[in-house]
Amino acid sequence: MQAFNYKFQQLEPLKSFKRVPVPEMYVPGHRTCAGCGPALNYRLVAKAAGKETIFIGPTGCMYVANSSYLCTPYAVSWIHAQITNGGAVASGIEAAFKVAARKGRNTGVFPNIIVMAGDGGSVDIGLQAMSGMMYRNHKVLFICYDNESYANTGIQTSPTTPYGAKTTFTPPGKEIPEGKVLFPKDPPQLVIGGHPAVKYVATTTIAHPLDLMNKVRKALSQPGPTFLHMLATCPKGWLFPEHLTKEMARLAVETGMWTLYEWENGTYKYTNVPKKYKPVNEYMKHQGRFAHLKPEHIAKMQAFVDEKIKNVKQAIAVAAPVPTARQKA
Amino acid sequence: MAKELIMTGCRAAAEGAKAAEVEVICSFPIRPYTAIMMELAKMVADGELNAEFIHGEGEHAQLSVVLGAAASGARAYTGSSGVGVTYAMEIYSPMAGGRYPAQMAIADRTLDPPGDFGSEHTDAMCTRDQGWLLGWADSPQEVYDNTLINYRVGEDHRVMLPQMVCQEGYFVSHIPDKVILGDQSQVKKFLPPYRPIGPLSTTKPVSHGPQIRPDQGAPMDAMRAAVFLDVPKVIEEATADFNRIFGRNYDPFVDQYKLADAEIAFFVMGAHANTCRKAVDRLRKQGVKAGMARLRWVRPWPTHQLANALGHVKAIGVVETSTSYGGAMRGGNLIHELRASLYDLDQRPLVTSFMAGLGGETIWPADFDYMAKVLTEMVKEKKTKRYVYWIGM
Ligand SMILES: Cc1ncc(C[n+]2csc(CCOP(=O)(O)OP(=O)(O)O)c2C)c(N)n1
Ligand code: SF4
Ligand SMILES: [Mg+2]
Repeated sequence: MQAFNYKFQQLEPLKSFKRVPVPEMYVPGHRTCAGCGPALNYRLVAKAAGKETIFIGPTGCMYVANSSYLCTPYAVSWIHAQITNGGAVASGIEAAFKVAARKGRNTGVFPNIIVMAGDGGSVDIGLQAMSGMMYRNHKVLFICYDNESYANTGIQTSPTTPYGAKTTFTPPGKEIPEGKVLFPKDPPQLVIGGHPAVKYVATTTIAHPLDLMNKVRKALSQPGPTFLHMLATCPKGWLFPEHLTKEMARLAVETGMWTLYEWENGTYKYTNVPKKYKPVNEYMKHQGRFAHLKPEHIAKMQAFVDEKIKNVKQAIAVAAPVPTARQKA
Repeated sequence: MAKELIMTGCRAAAEGAKAAEVEVICSFPIRPYTAIMMELAKMVADGELNAEFIHGEGEHAQLSVVLGAAASGARAYTGSSGVGVTYAMEIYSPMAGGRYPAQMAIADRTLDPPGDFGSEHTDAMCTRDQGWLLGWADSPQEVYDNTLINYRVGEDHRVMLPQMVCQEGYFVSHIPDKVILGDQSQVKKFLPPYRPIGPLSTTKPVSHGPQIRPDQGAPMDAMRAAVFLDVPKVIEEATADFNRIFGRNYDPFVDQYKLADAEIAFFVMGAHANTCRKAVDRLRKQGVKAGMARLRWVRPWPTHQLANALGHVKAIGVVETSTSYGGAMRGGNLIHELRASLYDLDQRPLVTSFMAGLGGETIWPADFDYMAKVLTEMVKEKKTKRYVYWIGM
């Protein structure tokens, strides 16, 4: 049974924007907010993955705002999953395609199976299903599009909402002036730390489209489970003007609020590391969710980020930016 | 060649799944159904079954995995017991609403608290309004048979619904009995391959489960309800074919025992029917005109078949092995729907209920004698004095 040779896809890296496939697999007509980061994210992921793809979409903005009124923007197959079970539904789909291949019912290439889950659907209520899928070594790419809140239900705090953010469940007040008092979970580290079957994990943002698409293609060229953590800025939830969607993601990297890296078989490779980090307030000051913070809160955030980027500087060599090396499955 | 073996209900379920050539199996341990998965795991390990055997991380995942598999065109199989059945609750409706005809084997078990391994129908009965096919077997043989019959009915394009194939924990799941396993040529004749409708595919892109407008909700619900109007016909066809091909003699909906001239009747589900039949025989010898109706399907509920089978009886005792705390009759579940089924008859039987077999307790022959006494008094007094009697306390 193990010996069967499934026709897994190998997707070449895109050397430049000129090589990016023209066909759109995530087409217009959805109802996301103007300037929606996750929608742009979806478009880039779908483009990079191509036609032979199946998306699993757990409940969240990328379900509700994309598939309104029985219409969907997916030019490839897509199935709704509960917010709880993206990883498990994907496991069943992958298993079905494996049996179909073994029995000769499906002789074509093995589909790219991609879960496109929000932060809640990935590392909070969806964590168990994601972890189970990864542990069991299913050939599935799990993407956490991180808009840093339970956005679809009206911007409630999630485990990736940053310290100090105002959400509808963490309103700042006299007793709790910061709003959110906890520091966020680290999704890639959750995956890397406990899933031996996962050999490739990477982070990216919507402000780095070629990097994003190449990480998708590299992840999809692996024979087993992979994980991508994508910063997908959300003007509605973070309270910034929608024309700054890309700018916010870029500033996140320039301030160290977000780091771009690949982790491959135990080795980290950081990219787009600024020569000199900007202060975090350069990022925070644009966003209404941080508007209530006092200087001491911002200092606390700066200390958190300083600690985080220490790792980047000390432990890991800065490597060349994309394109990434081709994978051998 | 068909062969006759001695086996438990769990083994019979696994043999049924193997005969159906299930392709994706998802397990999670909980007694007593676990033994079904142990059997299947061994069949896969030994290369007797070409299936993906997936260790789900819980029952919620089990259901999710088989949903994904069925959506992708694979015949999928899972199962559970007790709190495992309720842990998966979120997924029952998406599975039925998405029309994914996977199968779930249940060896039933009490819910907590307290921890109790005993059989009780309450676990699977909790799911009865989620749109699944649902029914109980009374023996390992019927477990095997129902596994095949349910795939045939569930995968019929007029139906396309998931199925819950239930047996009582221990009474059926763990007590060996004679089982005739069909020959694979009989199985092939009875059960065609699963033909999914609009499965996930890279050549024909589809969207499964988009959001709707509120005004699209009612028509969709009406469609889901309407399917159940067609199901009885499909069950009748499938049962007739099954009886013919495998040489059995099932009534599609209601197993009727000495009902034709009965004045009092027990209304039961599952293996307690075996004790009940003996009780009926004994009561008959004592001159009591007793009979038994055993329900084979809870969903679809056989409303008219029950009215036909039981309409002439004077008093019916519903043997309830599930709870409906605070329900209309203050006891179990079945009595509500049985009473509703009889309501339009000109001459309605009197109906009461007996809470029996709860916590996995045996329902003893003497318990049926007591029930018969209550029913006989009801007939004499022409009145239902109480809606519920708690047995064995
Ligand atoms: C079991 C369950 N609990 C709660 C909800 C309500 N709910 C719908 S969307 C959503 C937010 C999802 O957040 P996330 O996964 O981060 O995606 P986003 O909406 O931010 O894109 C929630 C909590 C649900 N659909 N299912
Ligand atoms: S709330 Fe945020 S994530 Fe959701 S649609 Fe609007 S911009 Fe996109
Ligand atoms: Mg979110």
